[in-house]
Order: sequence, then C-alpha cells, then structure tokens
Amino acid sequence: MLLELNHIFKWVSQGGSRVFLLKDINLQVEEGEFISIMGPSGSGKSTLLNVIGMLDGFQEGEYNFLDESVHSMKEKNRSQLYKEYIGFVFQAYHLIDELTVYENIETPLLYKNVKSAERKALVADMLDRFNIVGKKDLFPSQLSGGQQQLVGIARALIAKPKLILADEPTGNLNSKQSEEIMQLFKELNQEGVTIIQATHSELNAAYGSRTIHLLDGGRNNI
Amino acid sequence: MILNYFKIALRNLWKDRTFTFLNVIGLSTAFCAAFLLGMFAIFGLSFDKFHKNIGSIYEIYTSSQTAKGTEISNANPIPFAEALREEVPGVKKITRVANGGPLVSFGEKTLKLDILWADPDFFDIFSFPVVGGSKINPLQNKSSIAITRKTAQKIFGEMNAVGQTVTMRRDNEDVPFVVSAVIEDIPEASSFQFDAILNFTDLPASFYATNKDRWDAHNHPVYLQLDAETSAAKFEKATTAFSNLHFADDIATTKRDGAKPNSDGEYRQIHLLPFEDISFTDFNSNSSKVNKTLPYLILGIAFLILFIASVNFINMSIAKGSQRLREIGMRKTLGASKGQLFFQFWGESIFVFSISVLFGGLLALLLLDKFQTLFETKASFALIASPDIVLWLLLSLLLITLIAGGYPALLMSKLDTLLALKGKLQHTGKNNVRDVLMVVQFCIAILLISGTLVLWSQLDFMRTKDLGFNKEQVITLPLNTKKDRAQLLQLLRNALEGKPGIISVTAADNNLGLGKDGRSSTTVMGFDYKGREVRTNLLNVDYDYPKTLDIELVQGRAFDKQYASDSLSIVINEAMAKEFGEKDPLSVRFLLNDSIQYSVIGVVKDYNFQGLNKTIEPISYFMNPSSPKYYAYIKVAPNNLSQSYDRVKEVWNTLEPDTEFLGSFLDENIDRTLKDERKMTTMISAGSILAIILSCIGLFAISLLVVNQKRKEIGIRKVVGASTSTITVLLSKQFLKLVVFAFLIATPLSWYLTTQWLQNYAYHIDLSIWIFLAAGGIAFVIALATISVRTIQAALQNPVDSLKTE
Repeated sequence: MLLELNHIFKWVSQGGSRVFLLKDINLQVEEGEFISIMGPSGSGKSTLLNVIGMLDGFQEGEYNFLDESVHSMKEKNRSQLYKEYIGFVFQAYHLIDELTVYENIETPLLYKNVKSAERKALVADMLDRFNIVGKKDLFPSQLSGGQQQLVGIARALIAKPKLILADEPTGNLNSKQSEEIMQLFKELNQEGVTIIQATHSELNAAYGSRTIHLLDGGRNNI
Repeated sequence: MILNYFKIALRNLWKDRTFTFLNVIGLSTAFCAAFLLGMFAIFGLSFDKFHKNIGSIYEIYTSSQTAKGTEISNANPIPFAEALREEVPGVKKITRVANGGPLVSFGEKTLKLDILWADPDFFDIFSFPVVGGSKINPLQNKSSIAITRKTAQKIFGEMNAVGQTVTMRRDNEDVPFVVSAVIEDIPEASSFQFDAILNFTDLPASFYATNKDRWDAHNHPVYLQLDAETSAAKFEKATTAFSNLHFADDIATTKRDGAKPNSDGEYRQIHLLPFEDISFTDFNSNSSKVNKTLPYLILGIAFLILFIASVNFINMSIAKGSQRLREIGMRKTLGASKGQLFFQFWGESIFVFSISVLFGGLLALLLLDKFQTLFETKASFALIASPDIVLWLLLSLLLITLIAGGYPALLMSKLDTLLALKGKLQHTGKNNVRDVLMVVQFCIAILLISGTLVLWSQLDFMRTKDLGFNKEQVITLPLNTKKDRAQLLQLLRNALEGKPGIISVTAADNNLGLGKDGRSSTTVMGFDYKGREVRTNLLNVDYDYPKTLDIELVQGRAFDKQYASDSLSIVINEAMAKEFGEKDPLSVRFLLNDSIQYSVIGVVKDYNFQGLNKTIEPISYFMNPSSPKYYAYIKVAPNNLSQSYDRVKEVWNTLEPDTEFLGSFLDENIDRTLKDERKMTTMISAGSILAIILSCIGLFAISLLVVNQKRKEIGIRKVVGASTSTITVLLSKQFLKLVVFAFLIATPLSWYLTTQWLQNYAYHIDLSIWIFLAAGGIAFVIALATISVRTIQAALQNPVDSLKTE
C-alpha cells in the first residue's frame, strides 16, 4: 500500500459556520495505480491533491504514506518525505522563469544534495528521453505550452518519485498536445510510477485505471 | 547549488535593472559617505593612542575658587613640576612643556620651526622613537636640539644631521644648538605637533630664567606619568597639602575677596586629565570638560545615512518579493527548506551589498583627497587601518547585510507554500513596517536639514555680526623677525605711511581672531583695587590702536604722543569700567606691583575681542614702549583692498626678505576661528543632502512599485470618470502623509537639539519656527517632486492599456 486516507476532514470557518473543503474522505492507493479524480470546479480536487502531496494540512483524519503517519509528522520530516517520493505537475506548469530548461529540471536534485556528476547524467537522460536536448538552454518563455509541460513532467520525474500528482496537467493545452501528455503519463504508469491526476475531462480520466468522483468535498462514487 | 543561486541572483538583478541600479547607487553612495565620515571620526578618536604609556599619562590642571566662581587653568609656575615630584608620592615621570615658533638658521637657510621645550622625562613618558643620534635621551644636555626626520631633511638635505650646529634667535642673540638626535616624524594623530624639541631650560630668559623661582607666574602645561599603584583620584587627593603650601598667597587673596570653597572645602585643587582626552578638551574656555561630540556626531551621521540606504534596500526587496511569489512556492514544492530559501535570498542581498561596498570603497578612495581638503583633516584610511578596526568594519558590514538583507529573506522564506504558488500575499498589515521605516527615514532627513539650516544661520550670524571693530579694512601682520621688533615696526611704519591706500599703522602684543601664524594667546592679570581683586585681559598696544581698528571711544582719550606720561596710563573697555565700579571711570587710579600708579585715561566701547561663545570680558590697554609688540595692524582704504594688501606685502618683503609674509585681513582671522563650526556645518550639510537624496531614491522606488500594483485600479477609476489630478493626488497622498508625520516627529527633537547646541554661544541666533517649517517644506517639496514623476505618468496613461494587462 502506497498511501491511505482515513476520514479526512478539512474546513474553513466562515461567519461562524464551517465550510467543508474535504468531508470524510477515505482512499487507499496501491503502488502502480493510475487514478483520476473528477468533479466540477470547487469540488475539492486540487485540495485533495495538495493534501496527498503534503503541501496542505487537514483538521481531522489519518493519512499514512508508506506506513508512516503523515498527520503526526513534523514539518521537516514531511518535507523530507515528499521531496523523496512525490513529484508535482501543475496546470500552469510553474517553471521558474529565470532558469533554463536544463536548470529547471536540475533544481529538485539540488535540493536533494545530489552530486554534480550524477546530476549531469540524470538530467541528460531526462532531456534525451523527452526529446528536448536541443531546448535545454532555452528559458520557459521561449517554449510552447506543451513543451513547457513536458519540462514540468521531466522535472517531476527527475528525482525518481514513487508518486506523481498532476493537477489538471492538460488544462492549458490544446487537444493534440493534451493527448501527447496523457500518452506520456500512461507510459510512465506502465513503467511503475503511481499517478494521481485531477481532471475535468472524461477523455483524460479514461487513461486512468480508477476514477474517483468528488462533489462538494465528499466522495459520491467509487 | 551555490552556482545555481548565483546564476538566478544575477538574472533576477538584471531583470529588475532599475531597482538593482537604484539600490547599488544608493548603497554605494551611503557606503562611500559612511567610510569617509567613519574614517574622520575614528581618526579623531584615535588621537594620542599611539603612546605606549597612554593609560597612565595625565595633564595637570588646577581649579581655583574665585569670587566669581571656579576657574580652570592648565598653566603652571616654573618650580611647580619639580616640587610636585619631590613632595607628592606617586609621580613616576614628569615634564614641563612649552611651545613656540622661533627662527632657526643653518648657514644661509632660515626657517621658522614649531618648537617644543621639555624636560628629559618627556621621552620616557611619550613614545616618540629616536632614529638617529643619542638614543638614550636627546634632551639630556642643555644647548642640544632633537629634530624630526622631516625637519632634518628640510634643513640638512641628505647630510647627516646629528652633530651639526644650528643657531636660534633667543633674547636678541644667536644661540648655537647641536643636533643630538633625529626622531621619527610625529604621527598625524598626535596632539603634540613639532619640528624640533629642546631642553626646557633653553627657553628665553623672559619665560624661564626670570620666573625660575616664582610661584605666581603661570606659563606652561605639565604632564606626568603615575606609578602603576597610584590612581589618579588618590593622587589628586594627596596634592591638597601641596596646593595649600605653595599657593598660600593666592588662596589668602581669593578668600579675602569672598570666594566660596569647593565641595571638599578647598580653594585650590590640582586635577589630572587623562592624556587620551587631551584632544577633546579646551582649557581656553575655562573648562576641563571632555567634549567628544564632533566625532560621535559624525559617526552618528554615518550610521544614519547607512540606515536610510538600508531601509531603501529592505523596502524594495520586500516590495519586489511579491513578484517572485511563484518562484518561492515552486521551490518549496520542489523540496526547498526554509533555510535554503533564506540563504538564497540573503545571498542575493549579500551580492548587492558586496558590489555596493566595493563601489563605495572605490568612490571613497577617489574622493579622499577632496574630503581631506574640504575638512582640513589628515585622516586617511592607512592611518586608521588596524586589525581591530578592520575586524569591526567586517563585522558591522556583515551585521548590516544580515539585517537589511536577512529581514526580507526571512519574510519570503516564511511564506505559505500554496498561497505563494497562487501568487497571493497575505495583505494584513503588510505595509506597516514599510511605512514606519519611511517615516524614520524622513525624520532623519528633516532632522539633518533643520540642523543644517540652524548651523548655517548661526555661522552666518557669527561671520557678519558687528564685532565692534573694523574687520574688513584692517590687515594684521605677525612680526616674525630676527631683528629687533620695535625697530622693524618703525621701519614698517616709515615705509607705509603716506603710501596711497594706507590709512594708519599700529601694533599690539596680541592678534584678533586667528592669523595665518595660527597662534592665539590670552593674558589675564589680577590686581587689588580698593580692597578687592579685579581681573582684566591685558593688551600692550602702540599709538592709534582704537583709531586703526575703528573702536569707538566713549569717554576720555586714547594714547597720545603729546603726553609723555602715557606709559603709566591705561585705556579700558566698558566691561572693565563696570568692574571698577566707579561713577567716573576716568578718576580711577590704582597701584601695580605695589609701587607704580596707573590712571585710566579713556574708555572704549565694548567689542568682541574673543570668540562669540564668550561674553565680552574686561580688557585694559597698556602702552609700555619697551614691551614687545608681536603684531602690526594696518588699516587700508576701503577700495582696492587686494591692491593695498599687495603693497603691504611688497614692503614687508623688502624689509624682511627671509621671512614669510603672514599678513591677513581681520575678517579672514575671524573666519579662521570658526573653523570647527564651518567643518561641522559642511559635514551636516553634506549629510543632510545625502539623507534627502537617499530617502527620495527609496521613495521613488516604492512609488514605482505601488503605481505598478495599482495600474488596474487607476484604469478602472479613469474609466468611471476620475480626472488626472484626482488620481495624482490619490497616489501621492499616502506618501506625503508619511512626510508630514515625519515632520511632526522630527521638529520637536530638532528644536531641542539645536537649542542645546546654541547654548554654547553667548551670542546666538533666536530659533524661529520658520527654520523648521523651511526644513519640513524642503523635504515635502522634494518628496512631492520625486513621486510626481511616476504618479502623473500613471495618471495620464490610457486606461485601456492598463486594463488590458489583466
């Protein structure tokens, strides 16, 4: 078991009453799964992904990741954990504008204190694999959206995570680019990487092995 | 990792060129100013620290009770030092010191040297290393002279100086002196500055021999080194019996006149002033107070300027930070820890600071010469560069970058990951810190501007005040000569009289103000008049003194060649007339030295013969033809002043071709006495100009950012009908509010400080609210002009352009 959510509640107080962002979420994810989370805007897809990614906290419930209880963990250890095992892909790519393609992909390795020579080899592999060697010295603003997202995925993969969290990874792309990206995810999944994606699109959700529907913070369908 | 930080720092700085540029300019200027001012202050504070015995060396001064209060003096009688050594335990070494500027000749060469006369202990107490000749003690023998390396070079060139004989003019004869030693050149940061040093007993007879056994002629300072086990306080206490024994006559007189004893019940007390404080004390102003205001004030200004520049940096970094939120968020999701982010941003700050320190340092080096001339200082970086100072400098630089660079870095590294990713900033109270910092900035600027204005007015007041004599048309001329002074004066008089442009010539034994020879002295005499002691300043004058100086006679007459008895007459000023307390001052007769009767023949109107920090004291003119007159006074016609000056110079050069002409107009002499005030005014002016410029750079940058953030708001307001002017007002208001607030805080503080300072002057300007309003006004107008550049531009923009950006 990769991770397990038990009775997760997350809310904000608004005028004395609680507005639930997540309400009694239970989820088990095995290694090698490809899960799609679907639901309308505001249903809590992104919040759920952020909770799984440990970027966001929750008020009630239990979260175990690789048999470690995340909810009782200190900030520092949590950060250690997600640095090690989780990669993020965002709708708006979130590349660092001031860094080149090469440097963007390299950054997670820097924070993991990987040695220079090894870093070079890893980044070169990644560039090769995604066919973007020729673009390694360009800045994000010089790339198309699809290419930027490719770099985003490359960056998420460079640290060899067990889990990739993708928040509407194709939301800003046209259908052709979109299909390429989804194909890539599928290949990655076949290589053993666990993927959880949030999406609006039934088409994209179909790439996954399991779909979860969210409505107003709670699961209404499995 | 570091390379990655460095790269991203460079790219970021380049992307925000405007801000980087503003920051580097502001910080460089601030560092340059701080380096120069700091150097100046440290140089001032490092005076006399090079003496190895510095902790145990003291100058002796005496506080004596008189009917008018306590008088402070560092002048002692000739037998004093030796008696103190023998009678009071604790003296390790002791020396008398006198200085003067006699002419010294070697072959054809004649030079005016600054000479010190001292006892042999001098070289044991003070650290002036001997580099050639008698290493043991150069002052051991009478008729020997020790000269500095520089002086040796000047007199003898490449020749070996030791063993050579020079002659010195003394008591109207040429006396030979053998060079016994060459000493290392005197450090710049030394209170003693001299070219040569002689044995104290080699002083002219009028100074030494005639006073050899007298306890009532005070004419030189005494320095001593205490035993290791004797404390200054203990020593002072132990001297009371000594004072009561040797100054019994003085004490009896002062008691009779109604003086009150001091808190210890004594009438006369010997004190020790630590030698390291000598350069901050002015015994001429009747005070032993150690006044380190100037160096600390200057350090303060240096600090304030650095503060202002650092505030700019902080404010800009925080404001810029909001544009880097996504990067911060992204780095956090990629696994960056708070520490790593902090170091990244702090690193960028250190980078900017390092560049600025480098530029500032270079700029300071380039400006060093100008700075030295402007402030008449010998301070330089080489002089103050000791390991201690360098360490302190590095530490303070590190501390400044830690605070100024670390604070924004800390704020940014603490941001919430998700909010940062979404580009949102918590809005609660985010501008408070910025506003407070800006208010403090403008407080400093307004404080310095109003200080400058007050100093300017006071300086101007002192320069232009009618001192009661004609300072524009009178040239004073120090009569440095190897000839007989009286004779030279007569020659001068003959040569000048009747020449066009020359109105009259006179002489006196003292100068007014500070001449080019840089000497000033005060002679005060006390005598008994009708059973009480009267004190007066003394001036030996020649005929026509009041006439030449346009000093108004209010009663009686001045000295006149027709009256043979005038050598027993005196002319006094109104303050002296009051001192006598007679209804008709012309009726005053009094005895001097128990036998000679003097009578008052005239009263002149009070005039400021001393600095404006003092009220007008009593002064009496004597007309003793045999007493030496050291200064000639020449009144010239009001037109063609410089031509007349040249004429006097020409005459001098024909009469005295070997000695330099040092004549100067009295107004220049007065100006010279205001050197400290002028220096302080220039420093504070420079400081305030820098302060306001730096504050405005900060204001400009912040207004740029705020206007950028409000582009959309401005667009919407224009669309719904706001005019250009209302938008300009809207944008400017929030900044001008800060300036007004700063004005309200700074003014009372400034009022208090300047009032305190003006108390130092018996004659000073009255503070008016207008000075402070002007200071506030200047700051306001400059601030307004600064922000208007951007706000008007923004207000004029087509709203469609600004709305399109969303």
